[in-house]
Amino acid sequence: MLRRSFVGTSLLVVATVFSATQALADDAAMSVGAAMSLRKVMPPLMEAFRASDKGGPVQANYGASGALRQQVEAGAPIDVVVFADAATVDALVKSDRADPATRKVVASNSLVLIGPKDAKPFRFQTIDTLEPGDKIAIGEPGAVPAGRYAKEAFETLGKWDKLAGHLVYGGDVGAVLNYARRGEVAAAVVYKTEVTGIVDIIVLDHATGDWAPKALVVAAAVKGSAHAQRAAAFVEFLGSAAGRKLFSEHGFGSP
Amino acid sequence: MEYSPSFPILLSIQVALLALVIVAPLGILTAWVQARHNYRLQGLIDALIILPMVLPPTVVGYFLILFLGRRGLVGSWLEALFDLRLVFTPAAAVIASSVAAFPLVVKTLQPALEAVPVELEAVARSLGINPVAVFFRVTLRWAWQGLAAGLVLAFARAIGEFGATLMFAGNFPGRTNTMPIEIFAAYQAGDDTRAMLYVGVLTAMSTTVAVIAARFVPRELRR
Repeated sequence: MLRRSFVGTSLLVVATVFSATQALADDAAMSVGAAMSLRKVMPPLMEAFRASDKGGPVQANYGASGALRQQVEAGAPIDVVVFADAATVDALVKSDRADPATRKVVASNSLVLIGPKDAKPFRFQTIDTLEPGDKIAIGEPGAVPAGRYAKEAFETLGKWDKLAGHLVYGGDVGAVLNYARRGEVAAAVVYKTEVTGIVDIIVLDHATGDWAPKALVVAAAVKGSAHAQRAAAFVEFLGSAAGRKLFSEHGFGSP
Repeated sequence: MEYSPSFPILLSIQVALLALVIVAPLGILTAWVQARHNYRLQGLIDALIILPMVLPPTVVGYFLILFLGRRGLVGSWLEALFDLRLVFTPAAAVIASSVAAFPLVVKTLQPALEAVPVELEAVARSLGINPVAVFFRVTLRWAWQGLAAGLVLAFARAIGEFGATLMFAGNFPGRTNTMPIEIFAAYQAGDDTRAMLYVGVLTAMSTTVAVIAARFVPRELRR
């Protein structure tokens, strides 16, 4: 009796581990490494791609573009990258990891200054009216494109040096948004597309004008991918009329 | 707006030392209560003490924000009463490190205290020495190796704290960017030189600490 239940349990464990391994190594699906700022638009894009004639199974993982770039450099099984800036994609092209022939600007974005509901009315140009102790959240400029754009904007406005001791770095743009939602910072810089449907923050300012950095969404197929054709097709799809329509519906600008 | 590369090293050492200042008295008291007293719920308290060791650091960080964040259960009171905000401060890094290091002090010291013969304490008391003095002059002196090992391990754990620190104290350059935070940020940014600097420093420090701790672990506890 005891022996039978032992054998039964062992078989169950083996079956579970086996099916889990199968799920982890789902070779059929192509993998997209997408910027955190694309986490809302990517699911409908992938759904539409799946249904298209050149499409197929596809899954995405999200992170700071810089962090995803490190994963691709380290050989992670990512077939397509869709990053929140050109520089990070171009770094992968330079290290021969991304295929330059497939590199494509597929959408654009812009920055907004947000704050918790009780925020003081800062603007990009008046950000240096901070009081001691006021904190501004931006993405870590080394890895998060939204943070690098924010740094560029403040540098162009001549405010960057005045922000020393006020800046808190988020590991991705989602973290930056949530610092503001929890009221832990006086203001934060995120993309315009981040604030749609978020009720517990207010938008203090939009980055417009010649000082505003142009935020681009750039895609490329990764070299040596097991799904090279489908990866190239996915990048094409993102730039197609259907892809652009979905980007536009989620607040992104044209490329 | 560049910060000196030595800042994260000095900050990490300061944070770990301050965490020791907090957990040493609390840990000694807790270890003594657990070693020398029997009470209801002792088993439950024992489990709670080791909780920070077994919980994922992100869970600890989440609890810290839930309690001490600006909109947290205690945090909202701290702000209302004392105008005190903890998130993104070095104090938050000290708290996160203390929570992580506390179980190591208790769990290393407690068996050492239990090994102190109660007769010894009884003799000291019978000579008219007050109980507090007995604890410091007899019990703790007998168990000093356990205390030293506990503090050294606690320092190592505190200086390496990452997950809860990142969530609760964040990456605030010039304020909360300890070495583990810098290593993570530098890796994500692909800055290997910066990552390797702090990896080297932390490895050297932790190795030293491990060697020292191994010398202090009392013989009777080594098995």
